[in-house]
Amino acid sequence: MPAATNAAMAATRDLELVIRHVLAGLGHGIHAGRERGAGVEFSEYRAYAPGDEWRRVDWKLLARADRYFVREAERDSHVATWLWLDATASMAEPSRELKGVDKLWFARTALACVAAIAQRQGDAFGLAICSGGKVAFTPADRGPLHLQRVLARLAGAQPDGLPPTAQALKSSLHFTRAPSLVFAATDGLDWHGQSGPSPLSEALLRLRKLHHDVRLLTVRTRAEVDADFPSGAAYRDPEQETGLHRFTKADRVAYLERSAAHFGAIATSCRQHDIVHHEACIEQPLADVLRRWLQKAGAR
Amino acid sequence: MTSSYPWWWLLLPLLLLPIWWHRQKRQRLDAQFLATARFLPAAAPQQLRVWQWRDRLLLLVRCLLLVVLIAWLAVTVLPWRGDTVLVDAGADQAWAARQIADAGMAGARRIDLPPDALAWLRHNQRDWRAGARLLIVAREGQIGMPARAPQFGHAVELRVQAAPNVPPAPATSPVSHRVALSAAPERVQAWRALFAAFDQAGDGAQRYAIAGAPVASTELIVWDTPALAPPADWRAPHWWLGAGSEKAWPELSKATTITINGVTLRYADSPRGRLWTSAAFPPQDAETARALYEAWRLLAVAPAPAYPAPSHKFAMASAAADAKPAYWIAWLLLALFLLERSLTHVRRS
Repeated sequence: MPAATNAAMAATRDLELVIRHVLAGLGHGIHAGRERGAGVEFSEYRAYAPGDEWRRVDWKLLARADRYFVREAERDSHVATWLWLDATASMAEPSRELKGVDKLWFARTALACVAAIAQRQGDAFGLAICSGGKVAFTPADRGPLHLQRVLARLAGAQPDGLPPTAQALKSSLHFTRAPSLVFAATDGLDWHGQSGPSPLSEALLRLRKLHHDVRLLTVRTRAEVDADFPSGAAYRDPEQETGLHRFTKADRVAYLERSAAHFGAIATSCRQHDIVHHEACIEQPLADVLRRWLQKAGAR
Repeated sequence: MTSSYPWWWLLLPLLLLPIWWHRQKRQRLDAQFLATARFLPAAAPQQLRVWQWRDRLLLLVRCLLLVVLIAWLAVTVLPWRGDTVLVDAGADQAWAARQIADAGMAGARRIDLPPDALAWLRHNQRDWRAGARLLIVAREGQIGMPARAPQFGHAVELRVQAAPNVPPAPATSPVSHRVALSAAPERVQAWRALFAAFDQAGDGAQRYAIAGAPVASTELIVWDTPALAPPADWRAPHWWLGAGSEKAWPELSKATTITINGVTLRYADSPRGRLWTSAAFPPQDAETARALYEAWRLLAVAPAPAYPAPSHKFAMASAAADAKPAYWIAWLLLALFLLERSLTHVRRS
């Protein structure tokens, strides 16, 4: 899939269409047909909702009742999938190559795809959006309607403000009782706070210590990686009120060093805590990035 | 411009202040957002000055406010003078003191008599508080009688010292001027030569009779002995004093300097008459003498008004005051001020 597809996908407002496109590109490499929602132990019937797979519809019951019902199975595991979206102001950084593509779009679409996969597998999935110093929670649930809700929340996320405070995060980590998968998409810029680790990274590390499967995707733009900005202009950090920064050719080396040190520290920290970590550029094809991110977890 | 109030209009350049304030706008140089700006070195904020008008309505109101304020100051007068005596410095001091005491104005403030006193009074009568009285004490001939009785908003009394009665010389014969000369012996000759030259000057119609002491009709006393004081009873309309007379004549310390026809003269009024002094006294050459003659003739053209005013009491004319305080300007000022404050408040909130 060429990289320009990202721009084409970013142009459409229909997140579901994008998901279908991306997942079609993924092929069968991800979920391996383990559909727990359609397990062998029958639990109950429920009314059909758009998005349910046709093969789970009980055709005999349709013939009897003239209504669509879907067989729900007793689940063997109660693994929930949590989608963790960083929607701070720095996520608004656009690609300088692809029009309409920014970091938030990339992270949001990747998480939407994960949600769709989880829904297909019958997993419960919830959403946490970190934006404007707060955490917006969508409780974990199953089903296509829930997917619609989560996709709407993802589509409505706006890049704003600072990452949530330690207090806000602490009150939000109530899902940690049950074992879960945590898919976190961030730009990693808030990984370090003013002194030591930031509340965001601490929360993810704590989740990992509680034996949750944390999978981190750090997204950057190609320009950020290569320090490919117009020199001579003044730059302002979107997450800081004051302070201007300059960029000249002489500052490029120092920038690359500091950037490499920052993201190197993230990689080291993830390795130490056995967190799946994948670095991506938002100019890369989304399907490739998604495949590698998910495959890394499978390889562990 | 006899009144000082129009000078307030010189404050009009103050309008430049609000214009300056409203034109100036500082704007930070446009900075782009960059998520990884934290990896870049900090830069000093650069200011870009963009000139453009801000709050035009407020600017308009402020300019109007200033203009109206200046106009109000220019037309509004706060009366501050009380009872006043206008004293002619050349008048007899004893006589003037008598007149002042007689009018009951001994405690009043005294100011020098300005030229054309009645017109000046009429121009500046707004300065005097209501109920203030004015007394003018002057020699005869110092104040011209206006064609119509001036209307004053205050009680003005004019007391004129009668001049000694001089019979006018017949017009056909040469006009004779009596001159009293008292000079050091080495200078007497120069003075006599000067007046002999004056006799010949022009068409010869002016004659100068030189005497050693003045009489009642003496017009000019030449006193060129600075070391000596003149006799106390010597009086004349004009005195010529030799250079270096400032010690004997304290009035000269306030003398006015004029330069006419290349001759620099200083003059001051005293009870004995108008004192003149110059470094050119007595002229040493014919050229200086001719210049002095020209200058003196020019000065003598209008020594007195055609119709001197006699003593007179001007009653207070209530309708005369043309300086009604401009109330509507004050109200306009107040309204503009309120508007300006409101607009400023709206802008802030």
